[in-house]
Formats: sequence, C-alpha cells, structure tokens
Amino acid sequence: MTHAVPGRPRVGAIARKVGGHLVRGLAMIWVVATISFVIIREIPGNPVLGQYESLIQKGMSPEQAERATAVLYGFLPTGNLWEQYVGYMGSLLHLDLGRSLSTPGVEVTTLIGHAARWTVLPVLAGTLLSFLLGVTMGVYAAIKRSGKLGDMLALSGSLLHGVPVYVIGLLLTAIFATLWPIMPSGGPVDVEFVPGFNAGYIGSLVHHAVLPVVTYTLASYGGWILAMKSNVVAVLGDDFILAAELRGLRRGFVFRYLARNAILPLFTILALSIGMLFGGSIFIEQIFNYPGLGLLLVNSISSRDYALMGGTFLVITVGIVVANIAADLLYTVIDPRVRSGGAA
Amino acid sequence: MTVIVSPEGAMRPEAGPPGTTRATLRRNFWRGVWRVLRRKPSRMAGVVIVAAFALMGVAGPLLYPAQLPRDDDALYAPPSLAHPFGTDFEGTDVLALVVTGARYVLLTGLATAVITVALGTLIGLVAGFHRGRWDTLLMRLTDMNLAIPGLPLLLVLSTVWKFESPLEMGLVLGVLGWGGIARAVRSQTLSMRERGFIEAARGLGLPTRHIIGRELLPSMAPYIAMNMLIAVTGAVYAQVGLFFLGVLPFESNNWGVMLNLAVFNGGALTTPAALPYLLAPLIAILLLTLGIVLIVDAMDEIFNPRLREE
Repeated sequence: MTHAVPGRPRVGAIARKVGGHLVRGLAMIWVVATISFVIIREIPGNPVLGQYESLIQKGMSPEQAERATAVLYGFLPTGNLWEQYVGYMGSLLHLDLGRSLSTPGVEVTTLIGHAARWTVLPVLAGTLLSFLLGVTMGVYAAIKRSGKLGDMLALSGSLLHGVPVYVIGLLLTAIFATLWPIMPSGGPVDVEFVPGFNAGYIGSLVHHAVLPVVTYTLASYGGWILAMKSNVVAVLGDDFILAAELRGLRRGFVFRYLARNAILPLFTILALSIGMLFGGSIFIEQIFNYPGLGLLLVNSISSRDYALMGGTFLVITVGIVVANIAADLLYTVIDPRVRSGGAA
Repeated sequence: MTVIVSPEGAMRPEAGPPGTTRATLRRNFWRGVWRVLRRKPSRMAGVVIVAAFALMGVAGPLLYPAQLPRDDDALYAPPSLAHPFGTDFEGTDVLALVVTGARYVLLTGLATAVITVALGTLIGLVAGFHRGRWDTLLMRLTDMNLAIPGLPLLLVLSTVWKFESPLEMGLVLGVLGWGGIARAVRSQTLSMRERGFIEAARGLGLPTRHIIGRELLPSMAPYIAMNMLIAVTGAVYAQVGLFFLGVLPFESNNWGVMLNLAVFNGGALTTPAALPYLLAPLIAILLLTLGIVLIVDAMDEIFNPRLREE
C-alpha cells in the first residue's frame, strides 16, 4: 500500500503493536475484574459483609473476622468502597483469588488450575479439527459453488454457524449415548480405571473426550467454512490462478495455490473461534459433565460460592483476551502485508 | 417477522432514470424479491418456517388453556397420534409445551434484535460519520463489548438480576451484543461518506440528521435487516441456554426450561423415555435457525446482485 515490503519485519513496529495489545488486554482484564468485584459486592444480601457478621456472631473479634473474610473473598469487608476495591485489586495482583466457600479452605486458584486442563485441551483439539475440516470443505464449497454439492456445503456451514452449541451437543448425546449407546453419556473418564499412564485409563479418557471434542469441532466448523469459501471465491478471480490453469498445472497444485492465498485472513477468525469455544465450553461441560472451567462457573453460581464465581469468570475472560491477542500477533507475524503496515 | 427494507435504499446505487416514481421502484423491488425466492424452493421454505414461528408466538398460547392438562396415567408417554411428541414428566403434551413456550423465546429474540440493531447502528453511524475523538472513544467501547465474553457475564449477572420479563432479558442481551453491528455499520459509513451522493448532500448544506437518516441509513437497511435476523437467533440461543443451565428461576414454560428438565430431571441423556421431551425443543430451535439462515441467504442474493449469476 505505502512502500515495498521490507525483507525483515521492522522490530519497532512489532514492539509497538505488542505493546498496544498488552495495554488493551490489561485494560480489558481490569474492566472485567471491576465488574466481578461490583457484582460480588452488590449481590443482594452482600455475601461478603454477611460472612463477616456471621463470624463475629460466632465469637470472633472484628479483626479476626475481617482477616478470615478477606482470605475467603480476597478483599476486606469493611472500610469504604474504595478501600475494598483497592484491596481486591491488590490481591488479584498477587494472583490471590480468595478461597472457595463450597469446598472449604481450598484456594480458588487451585480449583481453577485443576479445571483449566479439562477446558483448554478439548478447546484446542476442537479448534484444530474444525480448522482442518472447515478449510478443506471451504475450498470445495468455493470451487463447486454453482453446483448442488457447493450449495449443500455452504448451507451446512451457515446452519452449523447459527445453531447453538448446546443443540449440537444434546443431539449428539441423544443419538450416540441414549439411542445408540456407543459413547459414554458423561464424565471425563470411567471410574474403574486407576488414574495414571496406563492404557485403560488413557483409552477411557479418549473415549469420553470424543463427543465433547466433536461438539467443539462442529460448533466452530461453520465459521471456518464460510470464511474460507468467500476468501477462495475472491482469490479465484486473481490472475495467477488463471495463469496456473493455463500452464496446465495439475489440480492439486492449483488447490495449493488457492489454499495458501485464501488461508491467511482466517487467522483473524481464530481469535473469534477460540473465544466462542471458551464461551461454548460452559454448555458442553454441563452436557457432558466435564469438570472444566464452565462447569466450575455454573456450579459456583448454583452453590452461591461467590469467590469461586468471580475467580472463574475472571480466568475465562483472561483466557479469551490472551487467545485474541495471540491470534492477532500470529497474524502479524505470518502476513507480510499487515507487518509492513506498521502499527494499526 | 416482516423484514422492513427501504426499497429506495436498495435501489440507490443505480438511482433510476429521471421520472421514475417511487412506486415503480417499489414494485420492481418486490418483483425481484419474488423472483429470488421462487428460484430456489429452499428460500421459500425459510420464509414459510419463520412465518410459522411468528404465528406460533402470536397465537400459540391462545390455542391451549392457560393451565395445560396433565395426565397422571401417561407420564413420559411415547409419541402417538394424540401426543405427537409424547408427554413430559407430569403427562402434559410436549407439542403443547413447545407451542406455548414459543412466545417467551421469540419475544426475547425480537426485543434483543431491536435493541442490538438500534444501539449498534447508532454507535456505528456516529463513530463513522464524526470520526476523530468520538470515533476513537466509541470504537474502544465497541472492542470492549466484543471482547467481554457474553455468556459467562450473563451467568454472573444472573446472580444479581432475575431477568423476569422477556423484555428485560432482551434489554440485557441487546446491551451486551451490539458490538459487531457497530463495527460493520461504521466501516460502511466510512466508505459511504466519501461517495458522490453524500458529498453532494453535504455540499447542498443539508443538515446532518437528514444526511444520516435519509441518505446513509436507507442504503444500509438491507444489511441492518440481515443483522437483525441474525441477532434474533443469537438471542434465542443465549436465552434458551440460560434456562437450560438452570441459573434462572423458572417462571413459565419455555424451550430452555424444557431442555433443563429433560436433561437434569428426566435423565434424557441416559434413558430413552424422556428423549422426545428433549428432542422437541431442540427441533424447534433447529428449525427456527434453519428458517432464518435461509432467509438471510436469500436476502444476501437480493441485495448483492453480483451473487445472483454464477
């Protein structure tokens, strides 16, 4: 656009970009932390103050009760709003999210750490699979766009893009766990296996992961196929494809030319897709009884464990923000056009 | 649901020959719509499906008594002629539950769509038209709106707010969801404000309100209408999902409540007996999505004539 593409990325521009992303990401996390602080404090009955008062009634001194409540929620129940807020933010800086109320004494960060892998691994697997599937199908849908097959593929994309995650998950379970029970209906693993690195346990883990991962995959497949199709249609009009066809290149080569040029813009969708899957994880984990972050959040709400609720909400948001930034940076690194454009 | 599309807006780029009246333009436009719909029966199906759901939302609750009859002898009855989708855990006809539950779900969808589109369009227009400081500020807000995960926030909000009426629910969902439309409308506005007819209007000294309302908005109407339809599905999705997760109190019957009861009380995922009770609302959601997707697809073709010939 402006000048010739330089051979190497300019370090200054990239640093500025990374800095900008970091600042924006931190601002986002700060906003969400503030929201969760306000909500925990403003919940009818003010659980924090309630805890403090019930401890005093049990015979604790105000200082003891104050300290105990602060350990639970990460901030002091007394003092003015500003002091409470500063206290809360301070403990967040120390990565202290307070302690769980429903599993007494356990730190919220520990619970979240245990749950995170049940969310992150399936989300990553689903993202990868749906990417591969969506991109391949997208190219076909674009090439065959005037035929029946292309129509069907595009429609499958629009439909799956529009259908809620839980509908996909529930239908899959209804078919493969209830009507034709070849898959387990819930839980991350069969209880009879000893946890560890043995064939039975790992096989059971994989068996239980199939339906959740397929659900993640189908949920974001629609976005990929639609985007890939429109990118390929745009590239199809370019001269170099015509040239390749005139040179009599085999279809496989033309296919590769197409895919390479159409795939780059998809990395912006990566961020969206990961965000969507993190959001969808709440439903998927609920349906498949998978002990990840989403289930933790829902359970913390139904057991009124507000410290855990605030912490989980915050961590899910941070996960999405980080995924967004990473996808954006990845895009900058691999697409020379964006790179040369400097900070955007 | 009627999609209100301003015909003169759709025709703007070609801006008919002098002497063409608006009535003719309108007639031509509707003829075009009819042609596109007829060319592929699937699109007609989309219109029919959405119309049927709209009818269900309006008339559904009138078809049945306020208190649906229960039949203690037929708990989880299998599908039959009398009960096409069987009965639920207290012997109530599942089809009746789906039909009467539609109003709540669709009303939320409608309210959300209106609020999403109004907010998104307004913010996008102001940002794109005024640019400068307003633009920066509004786009920061938009980024924030886009990046904060809606569903977890809704879950957390459900502890302080009970979302009692469909309208309240629609308000919350709308306020959370305008980001995408704002961004899209802004980029449309940015490209459009440099075009001839807008510059001409500015050169004539027409007031900003006129330029935005009469010149910019109509050209974007099709796009906005499409987004509105998509917002409806999004809202149905979110709201049914919240009820399914069981974080909202059950006030009345709706599809999400049915899903929740079927899965967590009826054991529909382990025993086939409650399966029809689970499948009925799922099929309703699938059909509604399908109808809207088909219409959006058709609209795409109506407003992008380039897509018509391939």
